[in-house]
Amino acid sequence: MSKLIPFFFVFMCYGQQPSKEKIIARQGQVSFFSYTSVENIKAENNQVLSIIDLASNEIAVSMLMNAFIFEKALMREHFNESYIESDLYPKATFEGEILDFDPNFEGEQTKIVKGTFSMHGVSKELEIKTKIEYIQGGYILSGTFETLVEDYNINIPPLLRGNIAKTISVDFRFEYRPYES
Amino acid sequence: MQKRFLWILDLNIDLMKARKTVFLLILFGTANFVGAQDLLDILEDEGKDIPQYSLATFKSTRISFGHSIETRKKGILEIFAANRFWNTPSLRTQSFAADRLSSRIALEYGISNRLSTGIGGTTFDGLFDTYLKYKLVQQRKDKKGSPISITLFQNASYFSEAIADNSIQDNFAKRLSFTTQLLIAKKISPKFSLQIAPSFIHRGLRASQDDPNNHVALGFGGRYKLGHHISFVSEYYTVFNPVKSRDTYGPFSLGINWEIGDVMLQFMLTNAVNMVEDAFITQTYNNFNFRNPNLNFGFNATYIIHFKRGLKNKEQIKKP
Repeated sequence: MSKLIPFFFVFMCYGQQPSKEKIIARQGQVSFFSYTSVENIKAENNQVLSIIDLASNEIAVSMLMNAFIFEKALMREHFNESYIESDLYPKATFEGEILDFDPNFEGEQTKIVKGTFSMHGVSKELEIKTKIEYIQGGYILSGTFETLVEDYNINIPPLLRGNIAKTISVDFRFEYRPYES
Repeated sequence: MQKRFLWILDLNIDLMKARKTVFLLILFGTANFVGAQDLLDILEDEGKDIPQYSLATFKSTRISFGHSIETRKKGILEIFAANRFWNTPSLRTQSFAADRLSSRIALEYGISNRLSTGIGGTTFDGLFDTYLKYKLVQQRKDKKGSPISITLFQNASYFSEAIADNSIQDNFAKRLSFTTQLLIAKKISPKFSLQIAPSFIHRGLRASQDDPNNHVALGFGGRYKLGHHISFVSEYYTVFNPVKSRDTYGPFSLGINWEIGDVMLQFMLTNAVNMVEDAFITQTYNNFNFRNPNLNFGFNATYIIHFKRGLKNKEQIKKP
């Protein structure tokens, strides 16, 4: 009997997992900007997926690189073909935790989201200041952060170095709904 | 003796406890790990129904001299200048750079994301041409959709040069030629794409009564990306019923495509003098080799202007 106790414990641990509440955002918005004196580049992705486990405060984000829409149609082709190589690395993902997050706090709070961002085969630790709003049973996460192009092993030919900024600013906004699996 | 035995028993129990604790710790560890993996797995599952199309099987609307399956996106105007330079067989000439030059200047426009059109004029033979191109099927990367891309191509060209031979009767209709192509391509790997092009050509003018008016041809084309912006391309067309009055050869090319920003430069070595489909497929009179006048150096330059903005809300793109 005593040998079975750990198994019960384990079953309880696994058993708790699905019952914990998860919330999902299916049409999250991520946009990025590059400002240079030569040209300004902006791209938007309105199909970003994100999920939060409210019990553990863990968060995951997944976006398709070829779902980014640019001002110019040719930029999208260049972005996918020559820079991000979306045939080889179709997705960018983020996996992390919202630090000191209280799911029951109504109204607005600003928290740090800490985790690993993977894009173009490179993983980076990021800490992102995020505004969390809790309105009518739904959570909205939004924020802005900046990241360096050179961190992600993206090769820009010397002729075009003036067209693409070294620092890219990224905006995001996710509206979460309860997740039913 | 008994004490000593009990001591061993104690140790045994301790060991069992320790093992149990370690066992539990490992299991808790995995439980947490599985939890973290779960979130991305759920997202993977959620996103699996979004169709994934193959982008940019070729970088340009031409592989080298012939059309590729690519069409221009809606609202894109392409200014296209194609040039061919070649030398006459004479040993000594006083021409600057090259003996002969032919240019095709064209404007090409994307009416919708699938439909493109273009008009152009060629200096050599005074050819004027227009085309319509429609992307019928787009290859998908996921296993659900089509494994190939298919584009329909139709052109018409007008031969405006005077005809020296009095026995050839001509009028406007007879000076027209038409080419219909079914362009079928597959992006086999991110770097390597292949295309085949079954073609039907109707030519109004004939040099002899024995020549057929209608030709059937098959084209082959491929590109291999050497770098992010440079690719190696090659193309070949074979005609199954060529003209009988003169020897013709299949047009062949070896080329480099270099893309930088809104500009695309294509360099090629070819035996095809003409740049309009019906002319280069059925009327290439020299085979491919490195002698004059067979060898042509080809240079295409494409500049792209976007007339349609992709993003809906206009207030963006200002410095924060």
